[in-house]
Amino acid sequence: MPRFEVMHGNQAIAEGAIAAGCRFYAGYPITPSTEIAEILSDRLPEVDGVFVQMEDEIASMAAIIGASLGGTKSATATSGPGFSLMQENLGFAIGSEIPCVVINVQRVGPSTGLPTKAAQGDVMQARWGTHGDHPIIALSPGSVQDCFDLTVKAFEFSEKYRTPVIVLADAMVSALEERIAVPCTGELAVYERPRPTGSPQDYLPFAFTRGGVAPLAPFGEGYRYHVTGLLHDERGYPTEDSALASRWWEHMHSKIDDNLDDILLYEERHLDDAEVALIAYGGTAMAADRAVSLAREQGIRLGLLKLQTIWPFPEARVRALAQGCRRIIVPELNFGQLRAEIERVAAGATPVEGINKADGTQITPGEILEVVRRKTGPEA
Amino acid sequence: MSPALQLDATRTESWHVLMQVITSAVELDPRRRLPLVLTSLPELPEYAFDGPPISFIHGPPGRNIALAAGLRAALPATPLLLIMNADAVTLGMNHLIHAARRNMGMTLMILRAEVTDKVTRSVGKRTSWRVYGIQESIEKKATPLELATSLEAASVARGSLEDPGELARIVHESMLTPGFTMVGVTSASNLPTGRLSSTRLPEYFEAYRDWSRSLRERIAREQPPQGPMVIGTTDATATPRRHVPRYEVRIVGVGGQGVKLAGSVLGTAAGELEGLWTTQRGEYGSATRGGPSLVDVILGSERIGYPRADHPDVLVLLAAKSIERHAAGVKPGGHLIVDADRVDGTGATAIAVPMVRIAIEHTGKPLAAGIVALGCIAAVSDAVSLDALKTGIAHNLPERLAAANIAAMVAGYEQTRKVMEGNRHG
Repeated sequence: MPRFEVMHGNQAIAEGAIAAGCRFYAGYPITPSTEIAEILSDRLPEVDGVFVQMEDEIASMAAIIGASLGGTKSATATSGPGFSLMQENLGFAIGSEIPCVVINVQRVGPSTGLPTKAAQGDVMQARWGTHGDHPIIALSPGSVQDCFDLTVKAFEFSEKYRTPVIVLADAMVSALEERIAVPCTGELAVYERPRPTGSPQDYLPFAFTRGGVAPLAPFGEGYRYHVTGLLHDERGYPTEDSALASRWWEHMHSKIDDNLDDILLYEERHLDDAEVALIAYGGTAMAADRAVSLAREQGIRLGLLKLQTIWPFPEARVRALAQGCRRIIVPELNFGQLRAEIERVAAGATPVEGINKADGTQITPGEILEVVRRKTGPEA
Repeated sequence: MSPALQLDATRTESWHVLMQVITSAVELDPRRRLPLVLTSLPELPEYAFDGPPISFIHGPPGRNIALAAGLRAALPATPLLLIMNADAVTLGMNHLIHAARRNMGMTLMILRAEVTDKVTRSVGKRTSWRVYGIQESIEKKATPLELATSLEAASVARGSLEDPGELARIVHESMLTPGFTMVGVTSASNLPTGRLSSTRLPEYFEAYRDWSRSLRERIAREQPPQGPMVIGTTDATATPRRHVPRYEVRIVGVGGQGVKLAGSVLGTAAGELEGLWTTQRGEYGSATRGGPSLVDVILGSERIGYPRADHPDVLVLLAAKSIERHAAGVKPGGHLIVDADRVDGTGATAIAVPMVRIAIEHTGKPLAAGIVALGCIAAVSDAVSLDALKTGIAHNLPERLAAANIAAMVAGYEQTRKVMEGNRHG
């Protein structure tokens, strides 16, 4: 039986991390994510975890990778400017397949931007921020409940697929207080890192398995291995062999692409008979959800696809939706970062419109309805 | 006393010597604890196959020091040996400073220390990047050994690859020393080695944990925990006791009127005591006092979703700012409650209650005005009960303040009832 608590989004992220087994946090304070660090600095020692404020976000990202290599689930939280600094070590964790969770509570950028205002401008940075043609998982919470649930999921995916997972939150949900259901101790199925069982001599920490990953041995437990940011063989030693490199890429992409059924999370509302479909994520999904309620009261057949996983992009679901409705509208607090992806997938099937701004204000249900009416009314 | 280091005369390249130094340092340890080696030299592990089964991490340049910070937390007992090049004092310099300052348990070997060492001079050495040579640059050199000493690192030493036995002994002793230790390794000439500091300090994280524990215990002593919280409903289906359609509350005031606190109390009362779904969001200006302040609380027996009160069922105005904009949004049949002393001319439909005055009368401060507003809201709506609000106050305020705030809220409730009665008869 869950308990019900009123908490804000940053608190739900912190509590979700603790519930998922996170026992190490390294970070550097930055609005609007600072409460996550504040809460974990108090909560982690209670559960025998370690909190440390590092000298900057580069170091924070490095420290959580180190802790994870030591066998401890670890996370950091930041906002745009810090997320930019983390890209270097984020790439190291992706390439070396080290699980960790990076929470980015977005704010208006570029640079220092509007520190306290909500934005969704880091969608493409979450996808392509670090260099190289890497796979990534990014989840976007669209409520305080999502903040808790998706943080738990982020740890699960990071361990299961040995990859950093980005929780792409925004100030619309992080500062929102909401009553949420919190599982009690023992109620939550926590995904634990599998341990290798074979002999240390045969251990291949970076096995190029298709669609899966080798268990990662914590250092100091008898399994000797080498970790490098260089392209490596299955034992972890650097190589420039192009045949190995292409097998490595196949492994890296297939471990995500072969598991989309598990990784792609989304919620649907009134899509079965929708003439117009909204696709929304993060805090903007709350306004989209309200717009659907108001539209239905007025007899407008509006539906919502709320994306919780934004990377990898749920191509198949969006393509099916595009083939089944007359128009797709994408509200987001940026100038169309995910809309471009939706247009790519929906190409030829249905027109895609955006509702876009990044001025620090939020998109309201009224603004969405106005666009829906304009596009579906008699003059459309 | 140097260990008996069996140098393989056929392998004199510095990688091999360096790897033998590490091997020898491990063998000097009676417990033979294997260090985890973090290095910026991808070539090094290739020389490790004959030695003890050491694991290597080849992190991004300079970042090994910060990686080691996380490893130190996860593996408190494993010796961490960092073997770094000049990247320790370029990209890694800030990490180095902070690791030394915190005395985090790790041993950092900086190779080619002569490049960065104040003592040695290598004038005329040229690199492809700086044709005039590092030493002739107009920049001052980084001096990591002196820096670590000034930051009171647990030990700072210098050794040379030309005396591998002695270097192994230094590395071994450095690894035995708790805290941040540094070994500058030169490879061009023999230099005297010297321990500049031998302060023995506890490991950083143990110290941090002990410190935070004692801090929490002190806070707990100073603020004894309140009694167990009484939760109104904890049923798994989250079904509230009664049906409440989406109910939007907006309170507008200025900083210092307790608007945010009122939102938290209402959210707790409805969400944790009445078993309703709730959201609460605020807009606060950057000024703590005097700037505009707004809170939206939405209640209902179904999940809320969108958290803004664009069309409030009840709107409370504690200040005259933006009155037209906000008042226009009130839902038909909704209530507008205004501060009788601060907001006027809003027509016969407004309920005027001197909320700030009531707050000052009961608590001496305008900070309770938001709490008084909650009493007013309870008077016009049965979405949330006065009893739940009282408990909500007790949960959100220290005991010494709760009673006066509850009295202020009840006064707001009664005053609102009176005004409504008057409006009906007047």
